[in-house]
Amino acid sequence: MAISRSTYGTRRLAIVLFACLLVALFLLPSQSQRLLQYVGGPLGQVLSLPLAAFSSVDHGITDMWNGYVALQSVHEENRQLHRDIEFLKGQNNQLRESMTAVQRYEALLSFKQQSPSQTLAAQVIGRDATNWYRGMILNKGESDGVRTEMGVVTPAGVVGRVVKTNSTSSVVLLVTDPNNAIAGVVQRTRDEGIVEGTSHGRARLKYIPLLSRVQAGDRVVTSGLTGAFPRGLAIGSLIQVEKSEGDLFQSAEIEPEVDLSKLDEVLIITAPYEDAEAAQKLLQAIHGDRKKP
Amino acid sequence: MKFLLYLLLALVVVPLQTTMLHYVSVFGVRPDLGLIAACLVGFLGGELDGLILGLILGCFQDMLSAGDLWINVVTKGGSGFLAGLAGRHMAHITPSVMTAGLAIISCLSSAVFLYSMNPAGLDEVWLGVRSTVLVQAGLDAAVGAGLYLLFRQRWSDDRMVTEGAL
Repeated sequence: MAISRSTYGTRRLAIVLFACLLVALFLLPSQSQRLLQYVGGPLGQVLSLPLAAFSSVDHGITDMWNGYVALQSVHEENRQLHRDIEFLKGQNNQLRESMTAVQRYEALLSFKQQSPSQTLAAQVIGRDATNWYRGMILNKGESDGVRTEMGVVTPAGVVGRVVKTNSTSSVVLLVTDPNNAIAGVVQRTRDEGIVEGTSHGRARLKYIPLLSRVQAGDRVVTSGLTGAFPRGLAIGSLIQVEKSEGDLFQSAEIEPEVDLSKLDEVLIITAPYEDAEAAQKLLQAIHGDRKKP
Repeated sequence: MKFLLYLLLALVVVPLQTTMLHYVSVFGVRPDLGLIAACLVGFLGGELDGLILGLILGCFQDMLSAGDLWINVVTKGGSGFLAGLAGRHMAHITPSVMTAGLAIISCLSSAVFLYSMNPAGLDEVWLGVRSTVLVQAGLDAAVGAGLYLLFRQRWSDDRMVTEGAL
């Protein structure tokens, strides 16, 4: 009974205090605010501890969600981005390759327009089937008008001559093959000779007159005496002149002008002369005669 | 049927030889896949099979080579035939026998090529032997032995089946 009376007293006291607080708030608002702030300072500090703890847990959960659970989609997105990068890299590579191809084609076209000869562009599709000949296979054949003995060049210079053809492809014997022979002339001294390949992958100008003053560095060009090439196409530069005692002629080693290991496109000289049509007819007549029994 | 199979094999081997094989060249020398194929088939299938495949391969290779039109036909056909003869007289073909056999046949085949090039003197012959014949023989032997090891189980099964049928 005593407890009940005490509780009743406390309640009355609380109500009275609350009423006083309300009256104070209404009648003295600024002073009561200051008082509340004064009381709220320590309370806020007390509250801040659990608040920080909860906040930390909340952040932890959010981080865990974003870092692990929500990364399922990010992982997929990452993979997609990687795929995109790979695709773009490939595309970029293709574009670079196309750009270099366009530059090569431009050079070929420019050479083709300037050259007095009739030429046919062809792509290198393979190398000789054996290790014994320095040859390459082109994607143009008899159906495109390619015949044996036609010259093959690039804007840089002479590549070789066609030795075999079938309907869709042809085989070119390179200028560095020992079985090849092209009539050449030293540009500075006008001395003529025969350019043959060597076993070392270079070429050699043979039958240079003994009294000739050729020297290393001289450029050798086609003389135009043989049917395959017009006059003046670069073959290479002399790197060493050899003159043995008792020999009737000098000979000189030539570094070919064209890098024959890195050829992608070439031009086949279908008619090397200015009067190309007449030459073409002549060639056709020759081949026609050969085919006749 | 076998002829068609060999024709298909040749249609794969020769383009591969002319287009892709420079990636595996050593000192600028590539293994001769035509020779290897003809020898392997000769060793394991008999001289007739080796000869037929060699002739087909040689014919295709001659079309895509700057050399004379007979040379690959003769060397590849001959190599297949020789390999067949050698294989017939052997009870067990092991990888080491295959390696040695391929190296010898490759050297013989290269000798025909070297002779056909009309070398100017002994210096040129020695240069050809050093720079091409020996390197190619080594490559042919290695690739051939590798292929034999790769398909040995299948081939030995085939042999057993054939012998069982006989």
